[in-house]
Amino acid sequence: MDSFQTADNKVHNLRRQVEATENQLRELKSQLQQAEQQAEESRNAHSAYLGGFPAEWIDETLQVLRQNEFPNTAQTIRQDHGFQQSPSAANVTKRRWPLDKDEYIRYGRQLIMPEIGLHGQLRLKNSKVLVVGCGGLGCPAAAYLAGAGVGTLGLIDGDTVEVSNLHRQIIHSTTKVGMTKVDSAYEYLAALNPSITYNRYPFHLSPDKALEIFEQYDLILDCTDHPTSRYLISDAAVLTGRPLVSASALKTEGQLIVLNNPPKPPGDLSGGPCYRCVFPTPPPADSVVSCGEGGIVGPVVGLMGVLQALEAIKVLTAKVQPIDQDPPKPTLLMFSAYNTPQFRSVRLRSRRKECAACSSQASITRQALTNGSLDYVAFCGAALPINVLPPQARVAAADFARLPQDGSNKLIDVRDETQYAICALRGSINVPWTGNADSWITRATQSGALAQDGRHYYIVCRLGNDSQLAAQAIMDRALLPILVKDIKGGFKAWREEVDPSWPDY
Amino acid sequence: MSVPKAPSGHFTLLYFAAATSFTQKQYDFIPAPLSIEQLHTTLETKYPGISERILKSSALTINLDYVDVEQELAKGIDGMQIQPRDEVAVIPPVSSG
Repeated sequence: MDSFQTADNKVHNLRRQVEATENQLRELKSQLQQAEQQAEESRNAHSAYLGGFPAEWIDETLQVLRQNEFPNTAQTIRQDHGFQQSPSAANVTKRRWPLDKDEYIRYGRQLIMPEIGLHGQLRLKNSKVLVVGCGGLGCPAAAYLAGAGVGTLGLIDGDTVEVSNLHRQIIHSTTKVGMTKVDSAYEYLAALNPSITYNRYPFHLSPDKALEIFEQYDLILDCTDHPTSRYLISDAAVLTGRPLVSASALKTEGQLIVLNNPPKPPGDLSGGPCYRCVFPTPPPADSVVSCGEGGIVGPVVGLMGVLQALEAIKVLTAKVQPIDQDPPKPTLLMFSAYNTPQFRSVRLRSRRKECAACSSQASITRQALTNGSLDYVAFCGAALPINVLPPQARVAAADFARLPQDGSNKLIDVRDETQYAICALRGSINVPWTGNADSWITRATQSGALAQDGRHYYIVCRLGNDSQLAAQAIMDRALLPILVKDIKGGFKAWREEVDPSWPDY
Repeated sequence: MSVPKAPSGHFTLLYFAAATSFTQKQYDFIPAPLSIEQLHTTLETKYPGISERILKSSALTINLDYVDVEQELAKGIDGMQIQPRDEVAVIPPVSSG
């Protein structure tokens, strides 16, 4: 009996051992499978996240990878590299690569540039850029930034598209004349790259809104066209700690500066200079010339806008600076289309110790900006319409047209030679006004235009401003005891009142 | 347009943007050495009104280095001296776009 019992027990024990071992084996197999899977996932994730870039970038990468399927792997990578913070993975969906399939195709050509790479592309995707002004600078700048895959683009402009914009404002078009520039730009950009977010602000930037809007962006582009907006944008960029890429263009020349980079708080002299550091005093208001008045060659302003997009991409994708290395030196790039060399790069100084915006003695504060006590128009001065002549020294274009054409009158056209060659009245004499009364009188006298032959003198220009100054120059010098008048409103009035076919350039 | 070499004992003064419009010139050759203060006086004599209309709001560079004009004017004759063969530039802000 005992031997049966012993044998039965042995069988029973062996069965249990086999069962336990089989369970253990199953468990081990399952663990192996899991481990293999995890290893594979880790490999994928590693190569996706760490394709050649250092551990310091993991934070940003993970931000992009919020919907990552491997929180554990991500955590492991963080721990491996000494990052303890846990990723804020809200919703977990299945995703193997940090960019979408289409994004690898769309951005592939810049993605393979070592200067951009995966890390740079992720940074672009994560960044928000505000383009202030959708004109000659803003059009190409916004187009390249949208093309490059900047995550969010803000567009500010209060103007509508005009036919005279189209030779340079390349993302607007003939069919969009009359539309707001912001909507026109949006239509173009959304067609160019529908995968990014666009925010539209169809109004001019004002001090009370600037800070609130700037704070929603990482980088600002100044694509505006007036000193008032240039100082406002620079001040707001300093106050919100945003780097600023500023460009401008007129006639055949352009300027480009990356300002407030790095964007240190006011008083920190290691921060980049602001617009006020470079140009502390605004130009006299009546000397400020717009593209409409001074002219602009399309590709000149286009080039400056393209360079803005380039500098923006460089700032957004900049690699982490080693501490022992000096920050990039600020420069002012000047372009002169008809000079040799065409490009000049000026080495700028660091922040001004007494700068009104970015120094420790800064008088420009957030409150001053938001409560409206900072008057940029007053600071830059307002160019008032010129009205220097007494009424009896002015004649309406329609009245001038009715004067006898018997040689008793002389018409002096003070537009420049180029405009005079576009269209001029027969019998008129061209003596261009260059801003200096003495030199104009000298040239007018030398050319015989002011011969004292008893005739009446009429002065005309494009819009009726320079003609007043020239007429006043003659009267001030009491050169002629004869009648001198300017034609009110210049050739603009001539077209409206007398000759509708007169070129409207 | 390329600027010829300055004659000996002179420096080249380049004008940009509004400074070109005001002087109706791309450049001048001016005898050196000269302080920044003397440069202002020389230009005001040559182009009356230029100080107020242009120089006050412009950047000034010597051999592509930005000069703090206020600081130099405060130093007067003891400030930096422009040397023969230097390239000095008057750079008014361009604000259009």
